[in-house]
Amino acid sequence: MTKFPKGLIRLKKMNKTRTVISALILVFALLLAACGKNNDNNPASASVSPSNSTEPSASASTPAATQSASPEESASGTALDDALAGKYKGTKVTMFGPFTDVDQVKFEEAIKAFEDKSGIDIQYEGSKEFEATISIRVDGGSAPDIADFPQPGLLNTFVKSGKVIDVASFMDDEKLKANYNKSWLDMAKMQGPNGNIMAGIWARSSVKSLVWYPKKAFEEAGYKIPQTWDELLALSEQIAKDGDPAWAIGIESGAATGWAATDWIEDIMLRTTTPENYDKWVKGELPFTDDIVKNAVNKMSEIWLNKDYVYGGTKSIVTTSFGDAPKVMFEDQPKAWMHRQASFITSFFPQNLKSGEDYDWFYLPPIDPQYGSPVLVAGDIYAMFNDRPEVRAVMEFFTTGESLKTWIQSGGVIAPMNDADPAWYTSDVERRMAELAQKATTLRFDGSDLMPGSVGAGTFWKGMTDYVSGTVDLDGALNEIQAGWKQ
Amino acid sequence: MRRRPKRKGSKTIVNIILAFICFIWLVPTIGLFVSSFRPATEILKTGWWSVFPHKENVTKDQIQLPKDTDLRQPIEVNGTTYTDDELRSGVKAPDGSVLIWENRRGRTINVQQSGWKMNTSFTTENYKGVLTGKQYQITDTDGSVKTKKGSGLSRAFLNTLTVSIPATIIPILIATFAAYAFAWLRFPLRKTMFVIVIMLLVVPLQVAMIPVLKDYTALGLNGTFLGVWIAHAGFGLPLATYFMYSYISQLPKDLFESAFMDGASNFTIFTRLILPLAVPSIASISIFQFLWVWNDYLVSLVFIGNQPGVQVLSMKIADMVGTRGNDWHLLTAAAFVSMLMPLAVFFGLQKYFVRGLLGGSVKG
Repeated sequence: MTKFPKGLIRLKKMNKTRTVISALILVFALLLAACGKNNDNNPASASVSPSNSTEPSASASTPAATQSASPEESASGTALDDALAGKYKGTKVTMFGPFTDVDQVKFEEAIKAFEDKSGIDIQYEGSKEFEATISIRVDGGSAPDIADFPQPGLLNTFVKSGKVIDVASFMDDEKLKANYNKSWLDMAKMQGPNGNIMAGIWARSSVKSLVWYPKKAFEEAGYKIPQTWDELLALSEQIAKDGDPAWAIGIESGAATGWAATDWIEDIMLRTTTPENYDKWVKGELPFTDDIVKNAVNKMSEIWLNKDYVYGGTKSIVTTSFGDAPKVMFEDQPKAWMHRQASFITSFFPQNLKSGEDYDWFYLPPIDPQYGSPVLVAGDIYAMFNDRPEVRAVMEFFTTGESLKTWIQSGGVIAPMNDADPAWYTSDVERRMAELAQKATTLRFDGSDLMPGSVGAGTFWKGMTDYVSGTVDLDGALNEIQAGWKQ
Repeated sequence: MRRRPKRKGSKTIVNIILAFICFIWLVPTIGLFVSSFRPATEILKTGWWSVFPHKENVTKDQIQLPKDTDLRQPIEVNGTTYTDDELRSGVKAPDGSVLIWENRRGRTINVQQSGWKMNTSFTTENYKGVLTGKQYQITDTDGSVKTKKGSGLSRAFLNTLTVSIPATIIPILIATFAAYAFAWLRFPLRKTMFVIVIMLLVVPLQVAMIPVLKDYTALGLNGTFLGVWIAHAGFGLPLATYFMYSYISQLPKDLFESAFMDGASNFTIFTRLILPLAVPSIASISIFQFLWVWNDYLVSLVFIGNQPGVQVLSMKIADMVGTRGNDWHLLTAAAFVSMLMPLAVFFGLQKYFVRGLLGGSVKG
């Protein structure tokens, strides 16, 4: 490095040293200030939420919580009533969830009337990276007031660390029981650090045990809707004889390849074993290597591994995108005739099709009559991270069918609440789904969404993909999936 | 004299190789461009290259088999027997034509001969969907159906500009100041601090996200443009400082000495000498920083989020695809729209770019 003339440098140096030191001190002070703020913020927020979530009586000192502590009083004035009376005008509630685009527009339309009436501004933010972002936000201390979890398993991790507020601390138990099927309420109960809490409320649901078919062509060909598993196989055979593969199946979904296969297994599990065994399986108490699970996979293989039954043959299953798979049913001449998928799949159908005329669904038939007609569902659970009166009001609003009304009317969502009027569904196709879920003898949630991520969003997907593509045999695949529990 | 022709030859070879590399480099972009003008249903069926004339089997005739043909037995067509699998993938008949199922259910077989074909269905629908926003059908509480218009890319485009311009200027300004100080001023701990800056180059920004987010939450900077400017500035500074340092430290010292003699202060030297001399390297680091900020997804995702008022292009585009990725064909057009700005910046500053790449590569 070059040196300047000595005298000059010394003068500059002294000046510089002083400026640098003062700048350093300034930066340090700023840092300290930031950390300091952070420090007295964090324990505060951390201590507020667990105390509220786990022991409502302890937090009764706060004015808002007093109402909840005594349900008799709250009957006269819940947070929702206060909100509708305009008590929280001008407040903001932030909400974060995974739905974007058309779903976001429909959601915003559905809550507009409530926002206008109450004056509460619900700021919804949708992100395709919800699963990753929510963890960053909660850990970073900027949790949204309400978050929409499509996977209860993910919510469970936040409940375990005591970050989620117990909605039972302020909601009327009787009202909830009246408005939700008991299975839904049970599924919302999760184990927190200080005992069981009601981790959230169910807001929108989708039914999974559906087999879609091109209705017009199906009827013209003279096919009958199968009522039992044997009839289903007989129909598949008949269609194969007529010259077409019966099933359109695709499980490719980028990094999530394989999830469509897990839905099949879950549906078949519910039809071949008791609900109790299903629950044990989901919790990890019944291993994948058990004969019960093996039997379920074998049932699936009766269709999947028969190259005459699957469009493009078995080998194309893992390379066909789940969204593109059903499209072959709607070509001029259907190239496949049945497609098992949840209710959301209609958004992938060609746009010009009429629901109820061009396509319709039938219930995936039971296999063993002793297990009745079980229904596999999925849904979004809304959980609460910040306890403020206006957030409570919004959460209460979300337990009403009213909060989904225009969404139901526009199509694409099934309400889990009992007070959602069946007349709101504009098409028979969706009304029948709601009825199916309400009448189900057994209602169970998508198992892979409940399992821990290492299994439910990891080895289960991968193991099924490997099995279908033929890289491993059944035992190898099930061992591979089971290994996910150890992680 | 002997050398000249040889040189000319090698130059042509180099040019051919470069042209070839350029072509390979450009193929994905061309494919994307062609796809962005094709209807969604076509993209699903055939690749973008099918818009060029190519040889394909064209159906000339059809054969109707008896309706009761058993598909699981060998099938007889015009005196020759084939298996079902052969007919599915297409099989050569003795006369050179190709036999393939048209409709297995109807038992019709296509007789195909190879011929030239070109796919020419184009549409501007993808761009329309991206630029003006999609249409949504909403049924109101009273049962009436209304059409709601989604937002296009324009708002997100402006937001991205609002993010990227300051997020380019701020770090480069600071980095240039710092580079001058590191190169030409003496102060205690100068070397230590410089080493720290260099060390920061290797720290991945992902590790800083949650701590920074915590501080932002405490300071109320979360979800604001100011917050993301500072974040980008912080993440961009080490590289920019090092880059500017290597250029500024190479300037001839006589310049500064004579300026000192004439009584110029540090500030005068910086504004009158350093800045004008460093323009090429400032321009090239600006391109780097601008491209990085423009294409960034992660930093925006964490620090500004998805509210429509602040949402940047990369996130808006991801959202347009739909919750389950059902509108992925829009990606083609959206990618092109978002590419416009970086292209403009690149061509605008291109003449500095090559010079800048050499910056720091030669040290005296």
